[in-house]
Amino acid sequence: MPDMVPMSVAQPQERQFNPYSDNGGTILAVAGANFSVIAGDTRQSEGYSIQTRYAPKVFRLTDKAVLAVNGFAADGNMFVKKVKQRLEWYRHAHSKDMPLRAVARLIQSMLYARRFFPYYVYNILGGIEEDGSGAVYSFDPVGSYEREACRAAGAASSLVQPFLDNQIYFKNQTPAPGTSHPAHLALTDVLALVIDSFTSATERHIEVGDGLEMYVVLAKGSPLQGLELVQGVQEMSTTTDGERVFIVRRNLKRD
Amino acid sequence: MFLTRSEYDRGVNTFSPEGRLFQVEYAIEAIKLGSTTIGVRTPEGVVLGVEQRVQSPLLEASSIEKIMEIDRHLGCAMSGLTADARTMIDHARVTSQNHAFTYDEKIKVESVTQAVCDLALRFGESVHDEEAMMSRPFGVALLIAGYDELGPQLYHTDPSGTSVRYDAKAIGSGSEAAQSELQDKWHKQMTLQEARTLTLRVLKQVMEEKLDHHNVQLAQVTPANGFEILDEAALKSTIQLM
Amino acid sequence: MNTFADRFSTTGALAELRKAQKAADEEEFSDAMWGSEAGFGSLAKGVPTFSVPNIPDPTAFLRLHTDDHADPTCKIKISHGTTTLAFRFQGGVIVAVDSRATAGSYVASGTVKKVIEINPYLLGTMAGGAADCQYWETYLGMHCRLHELRNRERISVSAASKYLSNLVYSYKGMGLSMGTMICGWDKTGPAVFYVDSDGTRLKGDLFSVGSGSTFAYGVLDQGYRWDLTDEEAQELGRRSIYAAGHRDAFSGNTCNLYHVKEDGWKFIGNYDISKMHYDGPGNVLGATGGGYGYELRVEGLSSANPPVAAQA
Repeated sequence: MPDMVPMSVAQPQERQFNPYSDNGGTILAVAGANFSVIAGDTRQSEGYSIQTRYAPKVFRLTDKAVLAVNGFAADGNMFVKKVKQRLEWYRHAHSKDMPLRAVARLIQSMLYARRFFPYYVYNILGGIEEDGSGAVYSFDPVGSYEREACRAAGAASSLVQPFLDNQIYFKNQTPAPGTSHPAHLALTDVLALVIDSFTSATERHIEVGDGLEMYVVLAKGSPLQGLELVQGVQEMSTTTDGERVFIVRRNLKRD
Repeated sequence: MFLTRSEYDRGVNTFSPEGRLFQVEYAIEAIKLGSTTIGVRTPEGVVLGVEQRVQSPLLEASSIEKIMEIDRHLGCAMSGLTADARTMIDHARVTSQNHAFTYDEKIKVESVTQAVCDLALRFGESVHDEEAMMSRPFGVALLIAGYDELGPQLYHTDPSGTSVRYDAKAIGSGSEAAQSELQDKWHKQMTLQEARTLTLRVLKQVMEEKLDHHNVQLAQVTPANGFEILDEAALKSTIQLM
Repeated sequence: MNTFADRFSTTGALAELRKAQKAADEEEFSDAMWGSEAGFGSLAKGVPTFSVPNIPDPTAFLRLHTDDHADPTCKIKISHGTTTLAFRFQGGVIVAVDSRATAGSYVASGTVKKVIEINPYLLGTMAGGAADCQYWETYLGMHCRLHELRNRERISVSAASKYLSNLVYSYKGMGLSMGTMICGWDKTGPAVFYVDSDGTRLKGDLFSVGSGSTFAYGVLDQGYRWDLTDEEAQELGRRSIYAAGHRDAFSGNTCNLYHVKEDGWKFIGNYDISKMHYDGPGNVLGATGGGYGYELRVEGLSSANPPVAAQA
């Protein structure tokens, strides 16, 4: 039997360097006129196993900037850590908090510095600009970015984004005669849309579920806009006279 | 006097027993040989003025460059060894551009001043195993004018790497007389026009030659138009107003 | 006593610590990270520096994990697919692009800005890797400004494009992907240069880049003349991007139109490609009225709804 050669001798084995893994989950952010909502589920999985039911994907950077990271959790956590470090250095060098658009550009440079060894991370940055408007910036893994009104990323992005397109950009909706679509939605409406997005994504995507964390950033001097009535809302900001950050937590199905 | 100094005035990084760095002090002396340079801050913007000593009628006055642009919102006037200033201003320009590239915002006046001061302190220093990049302190003082979210500002830097913010400041050979004159005449609610004429008046007092549009240069930094060197027509009309 | 030995030994705890320290120092925590330079990060050494995985073939690694043309199942999807065009004519330069970004077959975004405003008189277009174009053209903008400050003169389009081309050439083979047109107006008049990540740099009158370029070229070549009026030229740009958006699945959504003249560039408008199909670009200069779509030109009669004569 000439072609029965032991495997170990005949076949050279190829090994690949694969430092990446996909930990599922979904994040999304919506910008309002003077607020911004940044949300993410808290499930972390690998393959079909759930590693933990509480692994935060959304992080407060400053009182006016919140960053959501999705993709490979180890890369994401390290990336957030490094962004926070750079923000601290900036604060010492220029004695002010970094403006949101500066954070966005900084994230681009940090992602692009790893152009040849990318972070497997999709970032969405939300917060308040210097002019007091709500803003959302979305990034690809190597740093191309764009300011938008809303964006979903991660495992269920293709489920959630079309819903947001329809409900926030009013895509494929014709306004009733004599009326027009509002340019910005109210905070309570946005929160309801975000909760609906995640409950629906939980129903139809196996990597989404367990918990939902929604960060709300309010512009300086903005009223609470109904946020005070939301159950379980917690303030995360360091002062009450600048931009303010709140967190709202909800349970998602755990199956 | 020189006897006490002789042991310690050679090394750029050797303190004397009285705690002085003579080379740095000598560098500061070098500025007092330079032409008079004045900066005046107002709520509307900052005015910079320099005396241009035209030693010969054959010299092309416009080729003397003592006021330079760092960025649209930042200008700089110098006195002393102006050749040294080119290194510093290029560093300031690169820092300003790097900042704009990394943060998509214009750099603060204080930050760019600090960057220049960091460079000024690099004499006698060797990082890790590299050769020292500078052998002596810079022999030039700068007036850095600009505006940012904190409004118009004027900074003075000297060879020791110290930076101080001023409402009005004079450096160079006529600085002592000019500074006391500025102290008398400067007030909080000055207009830009008043600042321009004040700068020229003070320069006129300390200049040996008769002031005209050939031997002075004026520049201003305003939020509306950024950095601009006044052209001949604007300069002439300001001289007339004075 | 042991200090001398410690200092020069290559083994032992102290040496390990020293090595770790040195690696940490060198990697990214140089003095320039804090202080007035406030952490320019990868730019701290004056030119951008990049982390590369410590493996024998980093380029193959990158290709394995990112290139979605070779392997649609790979994890890191870099946005691709585009139609961009630029042409020179007597009235300046017209730059027109679509706004779709795709990752595999998913439309990642329909609102991408594929024209990069390098400075008030230079434009760059984006085809290939979105981040590559955005990052390097912004970087180019910084150097154009430094050139201006140092030489008291605006950089020529030729010099700017050459700077970019030399820059990307130095990364040749590393996996950068960009095909761009640098457009502007300098002492020589309107100018368009094509630059790509292979190192190609071409001066020309008319270029189109991207997956939809063949469709755009079809319309563009047919309608192009040097003595086009401004309005005609703008309409030609719009119409060409519409054609590409209509026939290329990787292009679409909207068209962004720019016009470069002697005093710098001007944004002309953003046009929905579906709207252009049915209703036309709206009441704009150069528009001939009505939609560009085939259905409108055959007055609603097609094989799905044949004319009466054909039914018989």
